[in-house]
Amino acid sequence: MTINKSLFIQSSAQGYRLLALVLASLVLMFADNRFGYLSQVRFYASYSVAPMHYISELPHSVSQRVGDMFKSRDELLEENRQLQEEILLQQYQLQKIDHLTAENQRLNELLNASAIVEDIVVRAQLVVESPDPFRKQVLINRGSIHGVYEGQPVLDADGLFGQVVSLEPYYSWVQLITDPQHSTPVQINRNGIRAVVSGTQGSVHEMLMNNMTSNADIEVGDILVTSGLGQRFPAGYKVGVITNIIRDPGQPFARVTVEPTAQLDRSRNLLLVF
Amino acid sequence: MVGSASLRASHGICVIFASFLIAALLLVMPLPDWLEYCRPEWMALAVIYWTMALPHRFGLIGAWLLGFFVDVLEGSLLGLNGLVLALVAYLVLSLYQRLRMFTMLQQAATVFMLVGLHQLVSFWVLIVSNQNTSPNLMFLVSAVTSAVIWPLIFYFLRYLRRSFRVM
Repeated sequence: MTINKSLFIQSSAQGYRLLALVLASLVLMFADNRFGYLSQVRFYASYSVAPMHYISELPHSVSQRVGDMFKSRDELLEENRQLQEEILLQQYQLQKIDHLTAENQRLNELLNASAIVEDIVVRAQLVVESPDPFRKQVLINRGSIHGVYEGQPVLDADGLFGQVVSLEPYYSWVQLITDPQHSTPVQINRNGIRAVVSGTQGSVHEMLMNNMTSNADIEVGDILVTSGLGQRFPAGYKVGVITNIIRDPGQPFARVTVEPTAQLDRSRNLLLVF
Repeated sequence: MVGSASLRASHGICVIFASFLIAALLLVMPLPDWLEYCRPEWMALAVIYWTMALPHRFGLIGAWLLGFFVDVLEGSLLGLNGLVLALVAYLVLSLYQRLRMFTMLQQAATVFMLVGLHQLVSFWVLIVSNQNTSPNLMFLVSAVTSAVIWPLIFYFLRYLRRSFRVM
């Protein structure tokens, strides 16, 4: 045997080795968490995991393609008819919106306010959710080579979805707006009251509104839109709906629960705002 | 004879490597939400097996590098998985003589302890770094599923190791 298979692995050497590795990990984690020095390292290292993401995405894209192949003519016709109807309805709504935006612009000009800029959106697809169930993050199939940047807002068809928190060349991680570490500056659509909503530990369908005094003019059913403060999210995107208000006289603030309008656990098709 | 013997030193690297690749794939494979908590710690299981079977070839440094790769893959704190996988590998290195003698039930129980420790330490780190403040013990569920699935992994990897003569 050329391999030196000693009966015992020297344990004291192993102990020192473990100590060194633990120290190295602690330094790495500290640098990553506190200073963000390592985003470049992570960026280049993530070239090696891009194929893994690609493969884990495969079953879904293949099943979709196969499903498309075997769709019957009737199904297609039915789907087509439904889509036509939807387009008609949306065009009708768009006519009104065109008129309203034009009017809004004129009024803004009268007020000497800054012009409203059209946002450019790019489609992205969700690849995987974070395997860690405690972290509400998802991976999307657009990365730095597509021009994605850190802090970029992400929407789905129904509202604000999250923001890009970490970049890879071909993919990027998006933190959902209901992540406990995420807060969104919002405004109540009805009366313009500004507030901040934060994510919670529990479900993906729940956010809490911070520091709303008990006598604030809020009602169940109020729609919240991004306020544009904080310079992260453009103003006017739908964020959520107030579902529950508990006004406890013993507490300085009311406990206001907000349900996000975006389909945080269902949408696969997302939009990146540039 | 000399040729075949020197071939052996690096023999089967591909098999070990492939098993880790599969573990990594299973780690990010999409699962329905309610199953997310039950996902076994595939990488920890693979590390336990290879450290136990080939302690002279696979050890702390291999586990640590693997952990770095997992961190990049999962987008978690850099160094976190390195820390916990190195810890698991260390414990297996000090236990491997006994682990080999254990019955399957005893092995599974040990795997439960090892993966539970793995989960506990990463939970602590996440709390300290403010990434997770959830107060429940659901993270231990994956230790149970890992222990339950261990016999399967063990026999599969042993079959691979024997048929490709990795030693």
